Amino acid sequence: MEFAQIRDRVDVRPKAGAMNTSDLIGTWINSNPNTSGIARIVISSSGGNLSLRAYAVSPEGLIDWGSVDINAFASTPTSDVAAGFTCLYDLGFAEARLQAMIMKGLLVLAQLQKFKDDSGRVDYFVREYFAIVHEHY
Amino acid sequence: MDQTLLFKQERDLDPALTDPATRTLNADKLTGRWLNTDPKTQGVAEITIAQDGNEFTVSVIGAGAGESIEWPRAKATVLANLEEEAGQRALAFAADFDFGFMKSETYIRVNKGVLVIVLFNTFNDDSGRSNYLNREFFYRQA
Repeated sequence: MEFAQIRDRVDVRPKAGAMNTSDLIGTWINSNPNTSGIARIVISSSGGNLSLRAYAVSPEGLIDWGSVDINAFASTPTSDVAAGFTCLYDLGFAEARLQAMIMKGLLVLAQLQKFKDDSGRVDYFVREYFAIVHEHY
Repeated sequence: MDQTLLFKQERDLDPALTDPATRTLNADKLTGRWLNTDPKTQGVAEITIAQDGNEFTVSVIGAGAGESIEWPRAKATVLANLEEEAGQRALAFAADFDFGFMKSETYIRVNKGVLVIVLFNTFNDDSGRSNYLNREFFYRQA
């Protein structure tokens, strides 16, 4: 077994099935009501595929970014429980790479924004926190 | 003539994004040799970030079985970190490492003097390992 760090060298047991992604699925709301970026994301599962839909703040109200497939990640090479994801939005004038991990019930979402137009804007990084909408309490 | 800026979120219109000074803010906060705060890490043992003009490279040493593992050096994508630290904006980096059997997508930033790397590791072999993420912390070598 090849590895780039000792953490990758593990005894792998046969997997019972696909990764459990239930902790990711739902509607996640930005903890900052004054955000100027993504306000809400909705993660859903269909036919074994996970997809994400992002809604972002604009001067004219929320902009629906549409739906993209996401790749789920566990917290270790031997875990079958999803703890984060990545996905890529091609917005035409820019590319938004989203990389997220769940920490203490919060989704920490990093956005890596790369501009493809000739606007002269600098590529940027921002990290925001999202809470899942639930019916407890 | 002013150019109409395309956007998908209000943040894309932040005036700081067109300020030339934003590109080079506080690069020295990230450059140098960084050691893992956990001496028993099973992951990334150290990171070196080097600057050559406007280009940055990331060199990583992985913790191996008795010996360290040198990762292929990666060119960093430079990003303005819109999170402020002590009233100052800094840079963040994205760097991807391709090992053949595995690919690691990472982002790197500094928070209160601690360098943080988050890795999203995708296995391309048939080893049965789950793709996984992890996060590690580093202090700057004096």
